[in-house]
Amino acid sequence: MPIAAALKVLIVDDQNSVRQMTRISLEQLGVRHIHEAENGVKAIDTASLQPLDLIISDYNMPEMDGMELLHAVRAHPAARKVPFILVTGRGDRELVVKAAQAGANNYVVKPFTADILRTKIEQVMGRLS
Amino acid sequence: MTTLDQLKNTFFDECSEALQQIEGGLTDIRQGHGSDDTINAVFRSVHSVKGGAGIFGFDSLVGFAHVFETVLDAMRSGSLTATPEIADVLLPANDVLTDLIAMSRAGEAIPANYGSESRAALDSLLGKAPGDEPDDGEPAGDFDGLDFMPVMVDAMDDAPAEAADGRQTYRIAFRPQIEMLRRANEPLFIIRELQKLGELELVADVSRLPHLNEIEHDRPYIGWSGTLRTAAARAQIEEVFEFVTGDCDIEIALEQPAPVPEAMPAADSAANSADIMPADAVVAAAPELPTLQAPSLIPAPAPTPEPPAVEAAARPAAAKAAATTMRVEVEKIDRVVNMVGELVIAQAMLGQIVHGLPEDTSSRLTQILEEVIHHTRELKDSVMSMRAQAIGAVFQRMPRLVRELATKTGKKVRLEMHGENTEVDRSIIERLGDPLTHIIRNSIDHGIESPEARHAAGKSDEGTIRLMAEHRGGRIVVEVRDDGAGIDPERVLKKAREKGLVSQDAILSEDEITNLIFLPGFSTASTISDISGRGVGMDVVRRNIQDVGGRITLKSERGRGMTLQLALPLTLAVMDGMVIKVTRETYVLPMSAIVECLRPSRSDIHNLIGGRGLLQLRGNLVPVVHLSDLLSMESGVTDSDERVVIIADAGDGSLLGIIVDELCGHQQVVVKSMEESYGAVPGVAGATILGNGRVALILDVEKLSEIAINQTTSFTPVRPRASEPVPV
Repeated sequence: MPIAAALKVLIVDDQNSVRQMTRISLEQLGVRHIHEAENGVKAIDTASLQPLDLIISDYNMPEMDGMELLHAVRAHPAARKVPFILVTGRGDRELVVKAAQAGANNYVVKPFTADILRTKIEQVMGRLS
Repeated sequence: MTTLDQLKNTFFDECSEALQQIEGGLTDIRQGHGSDDTINAVFRSVHSVKGGAGIFGFDSLVGFAHVFETVLDAMRSGSLTATPEIADVLLPANDVLTDLIAMSRAGEAIPANYGSESRAALDSLLGKAPGDEPDDGEPAGDFDGLDFMPVMVDAMDDAPAEAADGRQTYRIAFRPQIEMLRRANEPLFIIRELQKLGELELVADVSRLPHLNEIEHDRPYIGWSGTLRTAAARAQIEEVFEFVTGDCDIEIALEQPAPVPEAMPAADSAANSADIMPADAVVAAAPELPTLQAPSLIPAPAPTPEPPAVEAAARPAAAKAAATTMRVEVEKIDRVVNMVGELVIAQAMLGQIVHGLPEDTSSRLTQILEEVIHHTRELKDSVMSMRAQAIGAVFQRMPRLVRELATKTGKKVRLEMHGENTEVDRSIIERLGDPLTHIIRNSIDHGIESPEARHAAGKSDEGTIRLMAEHRGGRIVVEVRDDGAGIDPERVLKKAREKGLVSQDAILSEDEITNLIFLPGFSTASTISDISGRGVGMDVVRRNIQDVGGRITLKSERGRGMTLQLALPLTLAVMDGMVIKVTRETYVLPMSAIVECLRPSRSDIHNLIGGRGLLQLRGNLVPVVHLSDLLSMESGVTDSDERVVIIADAGDGSLLGIIVDELCGHQQVVVKSMEESYGAVPGVAGATILGNGRVALILDVEKLSEIAINQTTSFTPVRPRASEPVPV
């Protein structure tokens, strides 16, 4: 049972507003250690520098999109085991299937509430406490 | 402001950036040079708008963005081709999106059918009848059947390289130490616990078992090694050994599954097993990997878990990654700007004192002061660059304007933009929008001809307006050039005479005539159209530009088009000035207006009445006036030979010589506005504080030149109505 307050979560999204909203949702779940990255490259940097317990990444980003990041994370020595939740738009089933095949652990559809996020995280990591 | 409001603001700021991207991309597509990347970028931007709008609950925005995005997605996937015709539908859609964002930001209620026309056009691109329910995609729940693997999280977790069934094989080896049995820990219990986790295969290592008569009953001689195939995480296995970790040599390592996991593309898994196997796994697997060389068994350096593939993929992207940005409130930067201004003044004061000191004391001080001056200048430049914004923020509004006006007038107009990234001080950007809008309105309304007229004149049906910005000699030059009919001097002159703006018998050059359009009360359109005829003439445009210390010049070629050039200062707050003295008063002339300074001999100046004259300057005659005459003061220096003539650019390209008594030097001055306290004073651009703490007026050369031309004798600047008779 992971302890929410002990989790180190990385939010990846090119939109600051979305990152902040995600952060607020995570904080509502009791997560205290939240890192942010505005693109895939920064996300890899962050993941290389510190242990993470979860990556929540948007799909739609310039430079390196969420799928490319997922591949990079899964091939990264320090981060390859970190659970990965892909944030997608509505109706993109094909993408979600691809993400599942590429090693994503779950997906969440924008816009999401803190409760939805909790459900998704718990599906991946077990009940949060 | 609540956090949510702040976030909404952030979102809307992001929207502005996205809209710019969309507009730019669509314009490229419209002009036929849109690539896949262009479409992707546009799609991404619309998608971002939609995503954020969803989060913040702007439903109308989400709905429209969704249809928009669906069309772009179809273009991405190739089922729609990115033709200029499609761009013609998408560009207005972006206008609707812009409006929806603006309304959402303002908190206005959005009319239910807002943008329905554009939406119908988008729908028809997708082959849908306009009335069809928008396809909002599948509900989220639909994906829930997908097979995602739950992962138990633990700091020590070693899991995800799973086999297809989610179970993995661990190599486990443990050998109890002597303490273990003495602490009443039983290896059998551990083995039983491991068995509960999955399929366990262990082999007892009895190699250390001594001869029977040497056996001590409380010593463990047996070790075990083998494999455990389990769905449990590594942490659970470690839990089994929890009480014996100190008393027992344990090795737990994830064995790389022999079959390639289905989910992993082949290339990735190759990289996986070769490059990025964790160090401990390599150690454990070593006996089975004879090709592995001996040194690699030393855990640390050899099998460097460095995945070259990722490096290669990540680096170029890193190089491309946009510069990190931070949003700062404008007031905060303005405060820094003000402080820099104060610093410039304080430094000037310090300079004054240092120069008054005896040389042996001052030389070292001067050296340090020079450094301070240098740093202050750098500081000023950096702060100014913080305030600088790409002029694209203003340009961005123009394509839409051009589109709308072209539709309204039935003309074909193409807008070309160059130098959108040119950086200009924010305060100038804010005041550039209206003049530029007006100039472009004018160009389309009066300049560009109808397709028929263009055709008849042997031009292409489509008119071109070229909007350009660049840095040029310490100024920003913004140019609007059209290939329309240009200005008809005869018509302009006739109109000007009708309106009594010029006397009937005045003889004017063509250039002078075209510049008449800047006169207040001038409007060439015979009928006031609802486009340019909104009561704002070119005089207001010129006033606006002059208010920010800019100059406007016009060049027109009949039948070929016209060019309006705006030369703007880089910043409004601090400028380079020439400190001059007239009588006992000190003034500052902006360096940007000064062409050269000279001390002509008496014979070079041909005197006219009232201290005026003409200066022979390399074969040209330049009108010269004494500043004291312009400002209605007694000149202290009577001998013309000691006077200095400053040749200044009067703004319209003509030169004016200004005679002053003394040049005191060049320095940076902080511009303080006087308008709030005194109203606009003709000929005075502002004031500044000099090093000696005294206030000096900053003169407006352009205005002075006008005064010099308009006043035949002398002029009193403080007198608000220049037309009043002035005593000679």
